[in-house]
Amino acid sequence: MRSLVALRILLHDRATTLGTLIGVIAIVFLVGQQLAVLFGLFTFMSVLVDHSGADLWICSKNTTNVNSAGLIPERYVERVTGLPEVAWAEPLLFGNATFVTTQGTNESVQVVGLRLPRAAAGPWRFAQGSGVGLLDYDGVTLDRLDLRMFGNPEPERLYEISNVRVKVSAITQSIKGFAGRLVFTNLVKAREILKTPPGRCRAVLVKLADGADRGAAIVKLKSLFPAAEVIAASDLSAATRIYYVKNTGMGGSFGFSTVVGALVGIIIITLTMYTAVLQRQKDFAVLRALGARKTDILIIVLSQSLMIGVAGIFVGFLLLSLFLRATLDSPLPSYMPAGAAPVLALGTLLLCVLGSVLAMRKAVSIEPASVFR
Amino acid sequence: MSDPILQLERVTRDFYDGKIQRRVLQATDLALYPGELTILAGPSGSGKTTLLTIMGLVLKPSEGDIFVAGERVTDFPENKLASVRRARYGFVFQLAELLPALSVVENVIVAAGIQGSMVPASVRARARELLESFGLSDCLGLKPLQLSGGQKQRVAIARALINDPSIILCDEPTSALDAESSAIVLDTLKQISKDPHRALLMVTHDPRVFPYADRLLKIENGRIIFDSRHSVSQEVA
Repeated sequence: MRSLVALRILLHDRATTLGTLIGVIAIVFLVGQQLAVLFGLFTFMSVLVDHSGADLWICSKNTTNVNSAGLIPERYVERVTGLPEVAWAEPLLFGNATFVTTQGTNESVQVVGLRLPRAAAGPWRFAQGSGVGLLDYDGVTLDRLDLRMFGNPEPERLYEISNVRVKVSAITQSIKGFAGRLVFTNLVKAREILKTPPGRCRAVLVKLADGADRGAAIVKLKSLFPAAEVIAASDLSAATRIYYVKNTGMGGSFGFSTVVGALVGIIIITLTMYTAVLQRQKDFAVLRALGARKTDILIIVLSQSLMIGVAGIFVGFLLLSLFLRATLDSPLPSYMPAGAAPVLALGTLLLCVLGSVLAMRKAVSIEPASVFR
Repeated sequence: MSDPILQLERVTRDFYDGKIQRRVLQATDLALYPGELTILAGPSGSGKTTLLTIMGLVLKPSEGDIFVAGERVTDFPENKLASVRRARYGFVFQLAELLPALSVVENVIVAAGIQGSMVPASVRARARELLESFGLSDCLGLKPLQLSGGQKQRVAIARALINDPSIILCDEPTSALDAESSAIVLDTLKQISKDPHRALLMVTHDPRVFPYADRLLKIENGRIIFDSRHSVSQEVA
């Protein structure tokens, strides 16, 4: 009966219910959107590591994030390949360069050179063409999202990156990097563009054989290459994200925006819930006179808060999913991991309850005697 | 004479106006007996509402004791008093005070289910029976805003009866009604009061209501000055 009373009052006081609902939606959408952008940026930061297909990365000593890796000898590849616990090893080269657009302006890009035919950490989604195009000595890929920025270069036409001739051999589909627009090419062309000395690369990617112990393999490779860093791909991915969050002020910025979003929502919830209780003071006094305990009144207000919370979460997630869908193939980073949604929903419910604390205090303080004249 | 259902012993009530203590109810002894319709009359500010709220267990007395069905309830904690109210009391307020968000039938059963227990089908059936007996069979699904003043007050009476209480307290239930509606409401209350297990007390300042009383109490300046149960000679000048 208490839940029914709570629901009926909510449906009756449509204006205040709508106000509170907007508060909840604001929390879900504003906080969710901030988180989606943050998680989207996370995927940008470690995109090469996450799509490398490798279990381990061998980098220069003291590498704190994938983009800070220095040059290491490419011959590591041969030494690693011979080990029984290794399925394959591939060199990887990457660095910043300048793409000369069709208008003659310069745009910064991150060139990624990979060895064919495996093309580990290579392009994995194509809008036009395929990775085979990289077999062409001059072949590079550009991303569909960057084409306008580059002045809409056409496939199979020659362009220039850092004074080196390249040919657009394929267009990738929404592959976005954090350190610059990703341009994939073969190892030889990358070395030419990036002016990398022969026999050097940025990383050696290692795929372990089935059943191989990762921890033991790391120890073995570290002993083999004491001048290098051997890192599990998952650890390098996490280290890269943490590095950027800590060192770019991004963590603080997104944290602040998230808190502001939550605060805006909780203030709206608090004010509207409190107003709703003020409007219904007489009803609560009547219920108390009829035999409702303070606990019963508390449960009614709490039920209202949870009902609005659930409805607001539903609508908020609906809007959030529209946002995620709209930004799926756009330069705007947005991504919501499956595990984040329940956390956001539970957090929002918690904020709803917090927002209704003042209203609950007011509701239980209403004296039943006030209903008598 | 049967035992009283509700009994007040030396009950007083003080209010504070800043630091000044004001006694609005003098030491009062009062007992309500089953099968009686008692009318408590007095001018505005005489203390009749204070006495009503103390009898209704919604206001604590400053001194004295309250007994409900022989049990001393004066020091009961708030939640226990609420449970006593729900189980033993029915209230009819001046303006009906129905919950506008609930339908007519929900307004009646809310008094039975407000402490969270499931409302059994028998209670719902009883609510319908009560409303039908009060001529409200066409109004079950309506909201209070769609009812006339007299209809609202009859719904309030049904609400007061849903838990089959032994004490019904009415706070000027006809003051906002026209003569025709007042007569219907008073007839209904009179009928209800005839139950030999139930006492009904009605607060009013309208002398036209007095003929319905089995017992008449008059209160002035926080003191009961007349009780028709006793002889006229006991009336305090």
